[in-house]
Amino acid sequence: MSIKETELPGIGKKFQIETRSGDKMVIVVHDDGRREIYHFDSNDPEESISMVTLDDTEARCVAGILGGMAYVPKALETVEMALDDMVFEWYKVEKDAQSIGKTIGDLDIRKKTGAAIIAIIKKDEKVLNPGPEEIITPGATIVVLGDRKQVKACKELILHGGI
Amino acid sequence: MPEQVLLEIGLALAIVAFAGILAARFRISIVPLLILAGMVVGPHAPVIGILDFRFIKSAPLIDFMGRVGILFLLFSLGLEFSVGRLLKAGRSILVGGSIYMAINFTLGMVLPIIWGWPLRETLVVAGLISISSSAIVAKVLVDLKRTARPETEMILGLMLFQDVFVAVYLSIISGLVLTGSASPPSVLKSTSLALGFMLGLILAGRKLAPLINRLFNVPSDEVFMLMVFAFLTLVAGFSETIHVAEAIGALLVGLILAETDHLDRIEHIVVPFRDFFGALFFFSFGLSIDPLTLGGAVGPVLVAVAATLIGNFLAGIIAGRMAGYSYRGCTNIGLTITPRGEFSIILANLAKTGGLLPVLQPFAALYVLLLAILGPLLTKESKWIYSQLARIFGWPALKETNKPRRSV
Repeated sequence: MSIKETELPGIGKKFQIETRSGDKMVIVVHDDGRREIYHFDSNDPEESISMVTLDDTEARCVAGILGGMAYVPKALETVEMALDDMVFEWYKVEKDAQSIGKTIGDLDIRKKTGAAIIAIIKKDEKVLNPGPEEIITPGATIVVLGDRKQVKACKELILHGGI
Repeated sequence: MPEQVLLEIGLALAIVAFAGILAARFRISIVPLLILAGMVVGPHAPVIGILDFRFIKSAPLIDFMGRVGILFLLFSLGLEFSVGRLLKAGRSILVGGSIYMAINFTLGMVLPIIWGWPLRETLVVAGLISISSSAIVAKVLVDLKRTARPETEMILGLMLFQDVFVAVYLSIISGLVLTGSASPPSVLKSTSLALGFMLGLILAGRKLAPLINRLFNVPSDEVFMLMVFAFLTLVAGFSETIHVAEAIGALLVGLILAETDHLDRIEHIVVPFRDFFGALFFFSFGLSIDPLTLGGAVGPVLVAVAATLIGNFLAGIIAGRMAGYSYRGCTNIGLTITPRGEFSIILANLAKTGGLLPVLQPFAALYVLLLAILGPLLTKESKWIYSQLARIFGWPALKETNKPRRSV
């Protein structure tokens, strides 16, 4: 995938994206917060065949859907979102992870890795900001926040039960 | 009676707002409608029974708000303006911009010389003809959903180039026009004063940037806004006292503040003021036009409009082809850059302040009216125009696009 970024003085910024599948897409971020997504004809790269305008809220919502936050595709075990150095990761606990049955407190995740678990999504419940008494269960999706190294350490801790 | 003044201003604003509604309804630029509205209700308009819409008592006030409009228009231009950005835009913009200026400025000079207009008038007309309205162009691109097209970068780059040209040109012209004397030494003196003032302020601004940064570092939005506007008005007012156009003062304040850390915050507060007073600027320009004087300008204006359309189209094709755009893209460039607006009017106002030939006012009014309407229309119909031209010049025909087929 290639992304070309250009400034449009007085309007905003333009991102031209060519996907691996050969589609050409242009996203224009207007200074007033509007986003426009254009899809170009594969036969005539100058002619846009469709266009969608989103306001700021809608754009964030769509970004979330595209990013897999609303629904994680079955084929993916983990989903990652990066904001500068910070990384969010949706991480699915494997069935044979060593930490299953232990609590966040037992594992001492924050002290050992620096990363924070900000949510645990289990089959029947969603725990936001889980306390140290929260137990790691197989198949749960854990949302980890930290820099890349911390998140990696956290995943390892959960998998092996220790670092 | 003071009450009446308020009512008159209210009426004026209602008319301006109505022009805005009409413009949105018919999807045309608001600029020509604002000028027309001003002309219709101006001091020269007839009184129909008790319906006296002439804004006589409030005229000085509206006039003043129009002047404030110029300040905000050029202030926000100064904020956007950056030579660095222009250089980053690349060689094709610099080359294309020079070609554009060479063609259109020459055309703008030749016409008034043929008409036998004096030198200062000629220079004003040349500027009026060669400088597009970046405000209208940007709006048309957004409205017609053209922002994603490849040639849009070139169009906006050309606007950026022009804005730099405007800054220099305005300072030269204001030196020439505002002194009132045409003797070479005094012209030279005033022009160098204007240029010197510009350079001096820019240099001072650069040196004082850290100080300005600290000074404007106030938490209260209210105080911040007051400080920015005080700075703007003071510098613009001072420029006026030394016979440098106030517009240049405003532009310079924009340039200086663009270098500070507060750029985003300033841009945020300036936009609503620019839009409001900018609308009144076009309206007050309309007020200053006597519709009866328009007749005398029709001939020259039609010639100038034709020259502008041809010159811009040529410039678009040459500059676009050199930058490697398709004929289709080049046609878009040539058509999109034709609208005229704020700068042409600022130049016409300058001419009025400097006491140049009175025909310049109606000339500018009619010229801007026509091109502010024609430009966006031509841009909208660019596909049709291209397919006609393609047949004449043998350019590649438009491809059939694969519209998604509806399932049966």
